[in-house]
Amino acid sequence: MADVSLKHIYKVYSNGTKAVNDFNMEIADKEFIVFVGPSGCGKSTTLRMIAGLEDISAGELKIGDIVVNDMEPKDRDIAMVFQNYALYPHMTVYENIAFGLRLRKLSKDEIHNKVIEAAEILGITDYLGKKPKEMSGGQRQRVALGRAIVREPKVMLLDEPLSNLDAKLRTQMRAEIAKLHKKLGTTFIYVTHDQVEAMTMGTRIVVMKDGYVQQIDTPKNLYNYPANKFVAGFIGTPQMSFFEGTLKKDGENVIIKLDCSDADIKVPYSMLYKAKSSILDGKAKVYIGFRAEDVSLAENGLRNNRVVIDAVVSHREELGNETLIYADLLGGHDETGNSRIIIKDNCGNEINAGDNIKVALDISKAHLFDKETEQSVLPRVPEYNYLDCQINDGKLKFFGTELEIPSAINCVNVNGEMLLPSNALTFNGKIKAEIVSCEEINGIYLLALAVNGNRLFALSHEKINGKTVNIGIDFKKLTVFAEGKKVISPIPEVNSFDCSFIKRKTLRKIEQNGKVINKKVIEFGFLTENVFFRASDDASQKIFSAFGLKKAFSSQLKMECGIFDTVVSEAGIPAKVESILDYGESKFLKCTVNNSTVYVKTDIEYAGDIFIAPDMEKIGIFEKEKEIKII
Amino acid sequence: MANVKFRSKKRKERASNIIVYSILILISAVWLIPFLILIIQSFSGGSGMASNTIFPRRWTFNNYVRLFTETKFLIWYGNTMLVSVVVTIVQTVIVLMTSYALSRLRFKMRKPLMNIMLILGMFPGFLSMTAVYFVLKEINLTQNLFGLILVYSASSAMQYYICKGFFDTIPKSLDEAARIDGASRHTVLVKIILPLAKPIIIYTILTAFIAPWGEYMFSSFIMLGDSDKYTVAVGMKSWIDNSVLASDYFTVFCAAAVVVSIPITALFIWLQRYYVEGITGGSVKG
Repeated sequence: MADVSLKHIYKVYSNGTKAVNDFNMEIADKEFIVFVGPSGCGKSTTLRMIAGLEDISAGELKIGDIVVNDMEPKDRDIAMVFQNYALYPHMTVYENIAFGLRLRKLSKDEIHNKVIEAAEILGITDYLGKKPKEMSGGQRQRVALGRAIVREPKVMLLDEPLSNLDAKLRTQMRAEIAKLHKKLGTTFIYVTHDQVEAMTMGTRIVVMKDGYVQQIDTPKNLYNYPANKFVAGFIGTPQMSFFEGTLKKDGENVIIKLDCSDADIKVPYSMLYKAKSSILDGKAKVYIGFRAEDVSLAENGLRNNRVVIDAVVSHREELGNETLIYADLLGGHDETGNSRIIIKDNCGNEINAGDNIKVALDISKAHLFDKETEQSVLPRVPEYNYLDCQINDGKLKFFGTELEIPSAINCVNVNGEMLLPSNALTFNGKIKAEIVSCEEINGIYLLALAVNGNRLFALSHEKINGKTVNIGIDFKKLTVFAEGKKVISPIPEVNSFDCSFIKRKTLRKIEQNGKVINKKVIEFGFLTENVFFRASDDASQKIFSAFGLKKAFSSQLKMECGIFDTVVSEAGIPAKVESILDYGESKFLKCTVNNSTVYVKTDIEYAGDIFIAPDMEKIGIFEKEKEIKII
Repeated sequence: MANVKFRSKKRKERASNIIVYSILILISAVWLIPFLILIIQSFSGGSGMASNTIFPRRWTFNNYVRLFTETKFLIWYGNTMLVSVVVTIVQTVIVLMTSYALSRLRFKMRKPLMNIMLILGMFPGFLSMTAVYFVLKEINLTQNLFGLILVYSASSAMQYYICKGFFDTIPKSLDEAARIDGASRHTVLVKIILPLAKPIIIYTILTAFIAPWGEYMFSSFIMLGDSDKYTVAVGMKSWIDNSVLASDYFTVFCAAAVVVSIPITALFIWLQRYYVEGITGGSVKG
C-alpha cells in the first residue's frame, strides 16, 4: 500500500535506443493504473523498471517515500504477474504460492494460513496439490495471481496477464482482477495492449507510443478529450473516423470544410472557443475526427447539432445488436482518399453496399487535431489566449482595458495580436474579470473569465470562488506580434549553461581530535565556463548512477537553472550586465555570458562586470546529446 | 486403387526397415564383440593372449583373486575413485555456476569470453602438458593426487556450453518471478533452475566422472615414478608395456577392465531415472 512516483524516468539501451522517454507520473495509493499502447511503446519496460528487473537509465523512482532506483527487486516489496504465468513447474500450486513466504522465513502455520486464504479468494483450493502442467491457462493465471497477493505487497504489477487466455476467460478474469483490486486495496499497475482492458479496469490510463507518454487521464477523459490524434484513434472501438479539412472563422460562426466532401459545415464559434486562433484562418490543415456513435443515418438518430453529408456505402458489419456501416463521403478533392466514415446504426436497416445515404454528424462532438503536430487544437486546458491588442504610449490595450507596460519592455506603438499564456494571468491586478466557470482538471483549476464580454482563460493552483476577480498580466511571459514580427518577446524561465562533471582535489580544513588540519579531499562538481561548482552528494550520485564511473566525466552536460534561482555572487561565472529589466514586481539583470544571454533576478541595480552563480540545490542537469534529464 | 497404394507403402517401409536394422545390428556387433571377449577372457583359465578360441577351455575366478591380491590394483582403484569423485563434485559445481552466469547475467565481454572458452576448449589438453608439469613441480604437486585433481578441475568452466544451452531454454520469467518473490541469484539457481535442469546435471556429473576415470596422459606424466600414486589407467598400461608381463597379465588385465567399468555402469543406471525430459512443462504458456 503505497504511492509510486516516477520522475523523469528514461530507459536508454547501450546501443542508443531510447525505450522510455521522460516518464513522469505520480501514482496515488490504491489506484489502478493501466499502461496501454501498441507493442514496442515502452509500457512493459516501464513496468519492469518499477519491478527492478531493468535498470533505470536516468530519473528517480519512489515507492512510498523510498527511492528504489538501486534496490533489488526482492527488497522493493512488490509483486508481479507475468504474461506467461512463470509458475515454478517442479512445485505444486501450494508450494508455488508459499515460495515467497518461505523465503521470507515465515512460520509454517502462518504460511499455511496465508496460502489457504489466498487460494480461497481465487477459488483454487481444490488444485493446491496439483502441478502447474496439470492445469488450464485460466487456473494457472489464478495461481500466478495467488502467488502475488499472498505476500501482501505494496504494489502489484501485472504484465499483460490476460493476453494468453481465450476471449471468454479474459472477460471473466478481467472482472475478477478488478474485484481483487477492490478487495485488497493495493496499488495496481497493469500493462496491456488491449484498450478494452484498459478502459474497463483502470482508474487512470497511461497511453504510450514510441517511448513517449501520450496522455495520462481517467478512461472517460481519454475517451472524451483525447490529447492527440494517436490517443483518439487508439481508444474506442470502432476507431474514430478522421478527415482532413480546414476551419475558417466567419464572424460568430466557424465554417468547416472537409477535403473529402463538398459540404460547408457551419458551427457557432462558441462551440470552438477553446481552439487556437491560428487554425481558424481557413488555411491551416486539421484532422477532424468523429466517433461512430456521433455519426448516424440522417433519417433516424441525431437531433442536435447535426450536419448532414452525402456518402456511399462500402460495406457493413453485423454485430447482432447493432450494425456498423462503412461508407465513403462523396465529393471533395481529397487525393489521399481518406474519406471513410463508420456509422453505428441499429439493426434491421436495409442498406447495402453501393447505396447512397445521408449521414448526420454531431458536430459538437467533433475532435480537432493539428495536421502537423497531431495535437488536439481543442485542448481541455488551453495553453494560450490569442487576442488583438494595441500598444500606445507605453500602454497595452485589449478588450477595452489598458495596462501600463513595465519599463523592462521597449516598444513602439502598434496594433497587433498578443499571445498570452494561460498561466501568465495573475490574480492581483487591476483588470476586473467575471468568472464564467472554474473547473478542476488534473489538479489545477481552469478559469474561464470574461473581460467586458470577451473570453480569457487563466490557470490557478487554488480554487477561486466568487463572481469576479481582479486580474493582471505577467509581462515576462507575454508575446506580441505585429505585422508578422515579434514586438514583445517573453524572457526564458531558465538559464542554460554547457557544463561537464569533474572531480578535483582540494585542501579543506578539517577538525580532527580537537585540532584543525588541512586535508586533501576529493570533490565532485560541475565545471561551467571554467568555474567549478561543487555538486551535492545526491547530485553526484545521480550522475554516477546515470552514466557509470567512466562516462560520468566525459559526457557533455547542460545545466539549467531558473531565472529566480540564479543569483549575483562574489565569485562565479563572469558576466557582463547589458541592461536592467524592471517588470514592476521584480527586476532582472540581462547579462551576457560568453555570447549567450542570461537573466538574473536582482534587487540591486548592478552594472558592468559581475559574477553570477546558480543555486546548486535547484539546478537541472541534462545529458546534452539525447536531452535526458538526470537531475 | 487406394488399397494397392496403401499396401505397397507398407511393403516399402518393411524393406527399408530390414536394411536399417541389418546395418544397426552389424554396427552393434562390431562395437560389442570386444567387450564380450573382454568379459569372457577375464574368466579364462589360460594365459589368454595366445589362446586361439574365443571361449576359454577352463573357466575360473582366479584372475579376479590375482587382481586384488598380487597387484597394486586396489590402491590404484582407490586413487582413481578419490580423484574422480572430487573432480566430479568440483567440476559439476563450477560448470553449473558458469553456465548460469553466462545464460542469465549480462556483462561486458560476455560473448568474447564465451568464444574464447569455446576455442580454447577445442585444443587438446596435452598441448599444455609440459608447461603444466613444470608449474606443478614448482609448487611441489607432482606425484601427488591433489595435483591431479587440480589439473583435471582447472578447465572445468570450459564445459559450460551444453549446460548453458539447456539453461537458455528455461524461461527467464521464472528467474524474474523468483527474484521478485524474494530470492537472490543464488537461491534462484538452487531452488528454481537446478530442479528443472536435472537431465543436464546428470549429464554434467557423468562426463565429469568419466573423464578423469579413464584419463591416461596427464596422470602418467604427473605420477611418473611413484607406482603407489598411479591411477588405474596408468597402472594397467604398465602391465602391458612389457611383453613378458603382458602375456602373463592379459587375463588379469581383462578382469581389471571389468572392475573398472562397474562404477560407470552403476552410476549411469542409478542416475538415468532422473534423465527424464519434459519436466519444464506447465511452467509457462506453451
